[in-house]
Amino acid sequence: MENILVEATDRTPQIQFDFAQNRFALRGESYPEDVAEFYGPKVRALAAHIGQLSGTRIEFHFELIYFNSSSAKVLIGLFDLLDEAAENNEVEIFWHYEADDANMQELGEEFGEDVARASFRMVAKGA
Amino acid sequence: MLAKQVLQFRELLFQEGILFCYSGYMTEEILSSIGNTLKQKMAMDKTDKNIARGVFTLFVEQVQNVIRYSSEVEPVARQERGGDVELRYGLLTVGQKQGKYFVSCANMVARQDVERLRGNLTKIQGMDREQLKAFYKEVLRGATPEGSKGAGVGFVDIARHATHGFQFDFHDVNDEYAYFCLKAFI
Repeated sequence: MENILVEATDRTPQIQFDFAQNRFALRGESYPEDVAEFYGPKVRALAAHIGQLSGTRIEFHFELIYFNSSSAKVLIGLFDLLDEAAENNEVEIFWHYEADDANMQELGEEFGEDVARASFRMVAKGA
Repeated sequence: MLAKQVLQFRELLFQEGILFCYSGYMTEEILSSIGNTLKQKMAMDKTDKNIARGVFTLFVEQVQNVIRYSSEVEPVARQERGGDVELRYGLLTVGQKQGKYFVSCANMVARQDVERLRGNLTKIQGMDREQLKAFYKEVLRGATPEGSKGAGVGFVDIARHATHGFQFDFHDVNDEYAYFCLKAFI
């Protein structure tokens, strides 16, 4: 599958979906005008790819500054997808946040609570 | 006379601690511009990072509510990307008073929606932090509610970030519409 690389804008994150290495990342701000239009095709491609993997190491880095509530719905869908994939793959999720950003830390911890099979690591930056 | 009148209006805004005031059609472009300026202003004031983030969250969620749901809407003026572009009217204020930031939005809603909105908001207002967290996840995981264009989780997000709570009110305008106002505090 063709890799997906999208540069960040004021309102949308940088997206790096490397399907060959199975390394994925979302970095930056996320409050798109139209969440379904921005994430829909990319997340569908990711789900199709991950769905056919087994015995593979998958890494997903979340490095978000801010995300709105509509984006949160996409994020929770991604965590569910990754957690499901962890049934027959080695899945590592990294939640990067600024050390003094209590809100992003709390949100990461909350999302992490619901991830059962994949590993979910909190990574504080600039601590 | 003109300047005096406008100055009086400005003084009225200042008395209320209002930093930003916008009344008009709300669009995503307006959200971007006011949002960026609001961030700049808070950065210049050296506002605590977590408070600034909270204010920004209240701003985005409330403005997107107006963009998506205000019942005061212009007939479709143009089409873009295969969809209708609508213009919805609302009133936004962002300010600081007695040591608290506030973000308030007001817009027309259909009277038939008032009870549903009042019920939702009353329920959310009565929740503690743990209940809000659980409800936030429940709504995120659930199907998008009927008539919702976003995740339907905006009010919960507002409640979670409004460390000093929120107020809301409805006022009947005519048989069809009521005026809805929400004001959240940090």
